[in-house]
This record gives sequence, C-alpha cells and structure tokens, in this order.
Amino acid sequence: MTLYRRAAWAAGILVVLCVASLLADYVIAAQRAPQDDKRIKSLQEQVKSDASLAPNLAAEQKRITGAHLARKFRDRWLAWSLIAASAAFLASAKRLAPRGAGFQPARVASLPRSSPAPRSTPTLAPGLDLSFVDTAVALHGSGIESAIPLLQAIQTHYRYLPDEALRRLCELTEITPAQVAGTSSFYGQFRRSPVGKHLVRVCHGTACHVSGARQITEELRRYLAIPDAADTDPSRTFTIDEVACLGCCSLAPVLMVDGHTAGRLTPAAAREALKPFDQEPA
Amino acid sequence: MTLALVVVLLAQAIPYQRPVETAPQEKTIGGGYKTPPVQKPLPRDYWLQMADVALLGAATGLSVWLAIKRRSRKGLAWLSIGSLAYFGFYREGCICPIGSIQNVTVALTNPAYSIPIVVTAVFFIPLVVALFFGRAFCGGVCPIGAIQDLVVLKPIQTPRRLDRILGLLKYVYLGLAIFFALKPGMARDFLICRFDPFVGFFRRTGAPHMFMLGGAFLITGMFVGRPYCRYLCPYGALLGWCTRLARRGVTVTPDKELDCGLCARACPYGAIEKMRAVRKDCLYCARCYGSCPVYRRRSVSGAGSLDVQGSDS
Amino acid sequence: MSGLTRRALLGTAVRGTVLATMGGGAAFLVQKAHGQVVWQVDAARCINSRLGEAGVEACNLCTTECVVALSAVRAVNEYSKCGRCNICPAYFNITSAVDDLGLPSEKLCPRDAIERKPIGKVDPEDPANNFYEYIIDEVKCDGCGKCAIKCKEPLGLGSIVLKVRYDKCVNCNRCAISEKCPKDALQQLPVGQALR
Repeated sequence: MTLYRRAAWAAGILVVLCVASLLADYVIAAQRAPQDDKRIKSLQEQVKSDASLAPNLAAEQKRITGAHLARKFRDRWLAWSLIAASAAFLASAKRLAPRGAGFQPARVASLPRSSPAPRSTPTLAPGLDLSFVDTAVALHGSGIESAIPLLQAIQTHYRYLPDEALRRLCELTEITPAQVAGTSSFYGQFRRSPVGKHLVRVCHGTACHVSGARQITEELRRYLAIPDAADTDPSRTFTIDEVACLGCCSLAPVLMVDGHTAGRLTPAAAREALKPFDQEPA
Repeated sequence: MTLALVVVLLAQAIPYQRPVETAPQEKTIGGGYKTPPVQKPLPRDYWLQMADVALLGAATGLSVWLAIKRRSRKGLAWLSIGSLAYFGFYREGCICPIGSIQNVTVALTNPAYSIPIVVTAVFFIPLVVALFFGRAFCGGVCPIGAIQDLVVLKPIQTPRRLDRILGLLKYVYLGLAIFFALKPGMARDFLICRFDPFVGFFRRTGAPHMFMLGGAFLITGMFVGRPYCRYLCPYGALLGWCTRLARRGVTVTPDKELDCGLCARACPYGAIEKMRAVRKDCLYCARCYGSCPVYRRRSVSGAGSLDVQGSDS
Repeated sequence: MSGLTRRALLGTAVRGTVLATMGGGAAFLVQKAHGQVVWQVDAARCINSRLGEAGVEACNLCTTECVVALSAVRAVNEYSKCGRCNICPAYFNITSAVDDLGLPSEKLCPRDAIERKPIGKVDPEDPANNFYEYIIDEVKCDGCGKCAIKCKEPLGLGSIVLKVRYDKCVNCNRCAISEKCPKDALQQLPVGQALR
C-alpha cells in the first residue's frame, strides 16, 4: 500500500513538473519570439549600412534556429515523459482507490500474518489477535458449507464479527467476501460492530410498545450518549438491543440487562436499572 | 531576363554572373553530375490504410467478445490501452469515425464532394456493430474514449436528472456539426475536428487553448466518468440510436450475475439503472463485471469450480 | 424460427430497415468514392510560387496555421528546373551588402535550412561561373515561403515551391491552412494527381 502511495506521489509530482515545464517553455518562447524578430530586423537594417555586422546577423539567426530546434526536441521528450508519468500515476492511484463498496478482501500484504501468540481474552484494540480464526478454520473446515459454523465461532469468540477476522476468514477459506457480507447481514444473530460489556435488551413487543418502550429506548440512548447509527455507547459498556418480546408482558414496559429483568419502567426507572452495572469495576 | 539583369546590376551593383533562362541539365553541368531525386515523402500506403480499417473492425469485434462473452474487465482495459497506443498515439487519432460524420454528411448531400472508401468504412463499421451488439466501439476501440476511460479514478455518480439534461448536449452538438458541415464552399467548417479536445495529446502538438480544454476534460474525467463521451460525442448519439435496436447488447442479469447492486456502484457512467444495463448509455468498459462477486470468485478459486445458478461456459 | 416472438420479429424488421438504409448510403458513397485524398498546395494559386503573384510579400500562413509542429508544408527544390545560379535569390538576400568574395553577406532563410554546394566541373579559379546545388534541409524548413517567393520572375526559374510533406501531414479533415489561405491554394486531391 505504502509502495503504491509513494509511487503515486512520485508520478503525480512528475506529472506536475512536466506540465509546469511545458507551460514555462511555452510562455518563455512566446515572449521571446517578438524580441527575436525585432532583433533580427534591426540587425538586418544595420547590416545594410555596415557589412561588417553580417556575421553577427548570421550568428543570431543560427542561435534562434538552434533554440527553436532545441525547444522542439525538449518538448517532445517532456511530452513523452508526461504521458509515461500520467500512466504511472493512474496505475498506482487506482490501486489506492477503493473499488466497489462494502468490505473488500484486503491485500494479503497489508494484513498481519497470524503468529502463534498466546490466546488471551479478546481485546477490542486494533491489533486484534487473529489466530483464533486459523484455529476455527482448522476445526470446522474451509468449504463453503462451513460458513455459518465459522461465523458463529468467530462471533462467540470476539462477541462480534471483526472486519479483520472476516478478511482472514476469506483468505483461509473458499468463502468470498460477498458471501460473508450476505450471510452475516441476513441472520440477526451476527453483528458486525463491537458489542458493549453489558447487553441491554429493551422489549418492543406489543404490550411494551403500547406502554412506551419507544420512550424508554430513546431515554436510554440519550442517557448513554449513543450516536444515531450505533447501538453501543462510546465507552463500550452498554449495547442496546431492541427485541421482539421478553415473555413478561405483565411487567411492560420491560428490559433485561444481561440476566436481570426490570419491569414497569419509567424513563427514570430505566436509568436506575442500569446504574448497578455501570458502577461495577471494569 | 536581360531586363532582370539590368535591374539587379543597377540596384545592387552585384556582378550577377549567370542568369539563366532554362535550367542547365546534367550534360551542361558535366563532371559526372546526376540530378538528385526530389525529396518526395509519400503518403501512407493505401493497403496500410485498409489494414487500419481491418484493425478497427477486428478491435471492435474483440471488444464485443470481451464484453458480451468473456465479461472481462481486464481484457477490455488492455484493449483500451492498445487502442490508445495505436489509434491514438501512433495514428494520431486520425482514424476517426466521430469526425467522419461531417464528411459523410457532406458527401451524401453535395454531388461535387466525395470521400474515400476507407472513410466510408470507418464511419459505418461501428454503427453496424452497434446495431447488433451495442456500443462496442466506445469500449475498447475509440482512442478518445480510451484515454478518458483510463483516467477514471474516483468517479462520482452524477445525479440522474443532470445526467439526462447534459446528455442532450450531444444531440445539439451533432446538429451544429451537421449544420456547419453543410454550409457551402469556404464557409464549411468541421466543428467536431476543430474542437476535438484530445487530438492535441495524440499529436503532442496543438493550440494551447485546446490543450487546456483537453486537460480540463481529463481532470474532470478523473471524477466524472468520460464526460466527452457521455455529454458531447455526436457519434455517441448515433451509436446510442443504433444500440436501442441491438440484437444482443450488454446485459446484467440475475442468471449470470447476482442482483446485489455492486455493479451499479461500480459503473462510473450511470449506465446501470435498477440493476439492469441501460444499453444506449453503456460504454462497454465492463467494470460491472469486474466488480461482480460471481466473476471475482471464479477468478479466485478457478473457473466454474463453484457453480452458482447457471454460471455460463 | 419456431421461437420467433412478435418482439423479435419487429426488432429484426426495424434493424433490417436501418441496415438497408445504411447499406444504401454506403453504396452511394462507395460508388462515387475516389481513392485516397491528400492536401496539396496548388502552385497556380499559391502567392509564393512562380505562377502566383508578383511583387508581393511572402505569405507565411503555411507556417503559422499548420497543426503540425514546424508545419507539414515545406519548400522543395525541383532540381531539374533549378538554374543552379551562383547567386541564388532564394539562398542569398540579394539586397544585402557584398562581402569579399563578391557574394551577398546575408542568407535569406531565417532558419538556415538551405545548403549551397558547387557541382559538376568545379573551376576553383572562377567560382562565379560554377554551378551550385541548393539543397533544402527537411528538418529545418518550416515552409515560410521566403525562398519560394524569391525564386520566380525576374530572377529565378521557379524551381523552389511549397509542397505538403506527406509523411508529416496528418491529413486533417479540414486543413487548418486552407481555412486561412487567401487564395484557397490548398486543395484536396487524389493521391495520383497530387504526386504528379
């Protein structure tokens, strides 16, 4: 990646340089032409009265002709290098630009090769330990039919499907990025973004809905400062999930934090229900 | 001649030794002198021109095959590079159906004007191909298209309405070009050739303002796919009409491809609407196939090893 | 043919019509077609040539208007018509001062593209009576016409004329010089005629 970036920069600079020198050459030549004409004219006038100046005129004419031919030669080479540089720029820049949409199979070189690092609790840091994927593939096989067990294993291990793990998965198996994207977005059990420490399931069943589940959810989102498109607060403590029914409609509106249920909620009560988990040491 | 001699002698007092009334020939000059041949570089051989036409036909055929049968973006990209190098930089953009519109119009209407068979062939071959297979000429053959296709870097999707409105410009341009070409005598003007923004690049020489125009087109072309072809090319208008009747044009089908919509995002020319190819706008670049998961997988894990609903050949 | 639908039939019919129209047009064009055409300077019209006008300034539109770098039009010396003069009015600026050798001190060509060399039986004692060949350097010439206009009555025989250099000419659809040429001297001619 960095190689292409460097190549693109170098070629881009070369393109700009070529264009600049062609422009400069053109401007200089355009400015010089009338001066040269004038000089030749005046020399010709002088030679008419004084023949001894003739060699000067000849030399001047030779110089102008030489300059013109040199410019032509120079410009031709500049033009060819410009074409070559543009080709190089486009070729390298195209490697940098993302193609298509969605998640792409990353180039192998850019991924950290899995190393036999000690299996620790999964971290959510960028340096994700991907060796689990290798293990899982060894366990479940690399055919297209193993896609769902593999995704489930990854989801269980990391608690969500990290992009890096999916790329690794595509590298190791016959499963294509498109299939991974399709499968993981089709089934509700898979998630593609990191999950918080505690899962808050807010019931949106009929009973809860009519009792104001929407307000409860909104209040919690506001309280936890969860951005619009996300479901997890920035500190990754709570993930809010809207579920269809928790099976205790008599307590509506109701929510569950991990295994604990809180019912007959008001927005304030919902906030209170999260408190004990929030204060728990991480 | 004597008069001339006197004039010169009086005016400059130069001893003008030997004014002649007839050119001295080899015998007079003597000393084994042979009159050298006059420098007379010949024009391009006729058979070479015919070969160019044949090459044009072959390249168009190859483009059809690559786009419709092979569905190969890579192949078409290489074909465009080749066409740009040959028809563009080597032949200096002068085997050009776009400009020939004007000659053909004049030749059809003016009895005194006629055009060589080569020009007739260059004008009709891509149209006939378009009548059967769509605008294959635009994809891998036209050097003007190729240079723009190769600079596409990060295309944005032009809003549909704007795209439609700008697309009308090419009909206006076609009308103007024909109008000016039909003017009689010295007033006749070939607009398309005069305002060809890319021919300067192909010749590596030209008027500075045309270079600036061409540069502007290329820089715009990095972000808006092929602006000249989509909004101005008058030949594109003709090809578009023929393509509407095409027997077998470019297709994006649920049978051979997926209906995932990645192709619509990959198309820099806005020629995929509701996941189907719009034939008259399709410029045969095959980027849609290049981005299609079906073909991508096939290239990864060997042709046809994973059979998804009737992937062909 | 059993699977012929109305849609396919209509399509074929329309396509056939268009194809027939195009075929007709092409046949018409081919029938009146001539071979390859090239642009050529008509010596009878060009101001600079012998058959052109007398007593006018050289016209350099061929240099300034041509789209090719250094112009595809150049001066050509038709050797068989050349007088091989000692003092060639196209080589020397005959109005310039005379130098020690009795020759004008100034050359006419602004690009120094003409070479002068004695030919035949060279008599070193009497250089003025030798024959001289004037060779135009294709690489340097840009078709400004200064030499062509001098090589005509009353001093010259008109052997130097302006010609289109076919290897350089890109055969523009509408020659940029012809658009400006005051005498409409650039004509599109069939190759055979142009080469004659």
